[in-house]
Amino acid sequence: MLLANAARYLAKLGKGVVALDFDFEAPGLHYKFGAGEYHIALGGAVPYLLATAEGTAFPPPFDDHMISVPVPEGRGWLRLLPAGPAPHQTYWAALKELGDRLRLTDLSGRGFMALLDLQARIEDELKPDYLLIDARTGVTELGGLATSVLADTVVCMLAPNQESLDGTLTVVEALKSTPRLANQRPIRVVPILSRTAGKLSSEGRFAAGIMKLLSFGGRPDLFVLPHDDDIGTFGDEEKASDSSPLYEAYIELFHGLFPAAE
Amino acid sequence: MDTDTLNTLVTGAIWRAEELESRSIPSTSAWAEVSSLEEDLAKAHPVTEGQGRIARRGAVRAALKSGNYTRAYALADGYLAEANVPESFKIELRTILEEYTQAMASRFQYASKHYSVREAQGWARRLSENGAFNLAA
Repeated sequence: MLLANAARYLAKLGKGVVALDFDFEAPGLHYKFGAGEYHIALGGAVPYLLATAEGTAFPPPFDDHMISVPVPEGRGWLRLLPAGPAPHQTYWAALKELGDRLRLTDLSGRGFMALLDLQARIEDELKPDYLLIDARTGVTELGGLATSVLADTVVCMLAPNQESLDGTLTVVEALKSTPRLANQRPIRVVPILSRTAGKLSSEGRFAAGIMKLLSFGGRPDLFVLPHDDDIGTFGDEEKASDSSPLYEAYIELFHGLFPAAE
Repeated sequence: MDTDTLNTLVTGAIWRAEELESRSIPSTSAWAEVSSLEEDLAKAHPVTEGQGRIARRGAVRAALKSGNYTRAYALADGYLAEANVPESFKIELRTILEEYTQAMASRFQYASKHYSVREAQGWARRLSENGAFNLAA
């Protein structure tokens, strides 16, 4: 949801945005953009990567795989590359085939090149101001690649419990020590505590973990997205009211995440 | 299996793979068979013998043609690490892999403008050895 909101926020500010769903095992970003019932013949990242897994001089047109998302009141544009037509069976069949054909541990580097090719093509042809990638929660090969190789900034969402914090610390520590490709800047990590209810303790193991997490992010304070009891549903989207603490927290977060956007 | 039988089998396997390839029929499994037979021949002949070097080259080339790049690179790594490997043969093996790398760069035209295949290979090796996020290192 954070990614969908960020994409809309940036597009309304006049920016060009591409949102990419790399959460292949739990694909759902298209629902957040109100495209949950798009036709199953439409492609997505998985069908695109299947078509380009070996490399090709003639990759399929992006229009066959992307959705243009309307931006009301906005001056920018927003295009979505969904994972694919999930939850239809054709998506899972394509994902299985992709797993057989595109191995990131392939020592030839072909799997990495296929993913880097997609990212580079988006940059070269669409020239978005922002490419937002929804990556898989947890420790997966694709999640590792999306956050350590494809990203300039990694936004880590964590829940207010020790399990989530310990897991996030492990991944962030690993990310910060991961080497980058030759022409990449050091990675920026932004931790966000979500679904909080009530004040967080400033003492104890959890508080110490938060301090450690902040030291990796280079910010003195933590972004917090509070739990919103009043959140409702509207079509495929969840919406917070303009006056809710959650809405205000989102705005503060986006100011911090995208300082150059305004 | 004796080397005469292996030579007969590999000759037949190469012919079959090339025939399939020339008719645009999927040939990856045929090349995998060639690579396996060449690997067996390589075990039967030391790298200091001409036949041993031919078998090693064949095993790597056929693995690449079969699409099993990880096997090709693993075979090459093993052959390069053998004792008494002639320097000229090391260059030959590296050239085979380099040609493949260049061909791949041309197939991934967008990525190649920004990144080198060697970088991607380094990442693949790290991922293979250390797991996601290097957590298994």
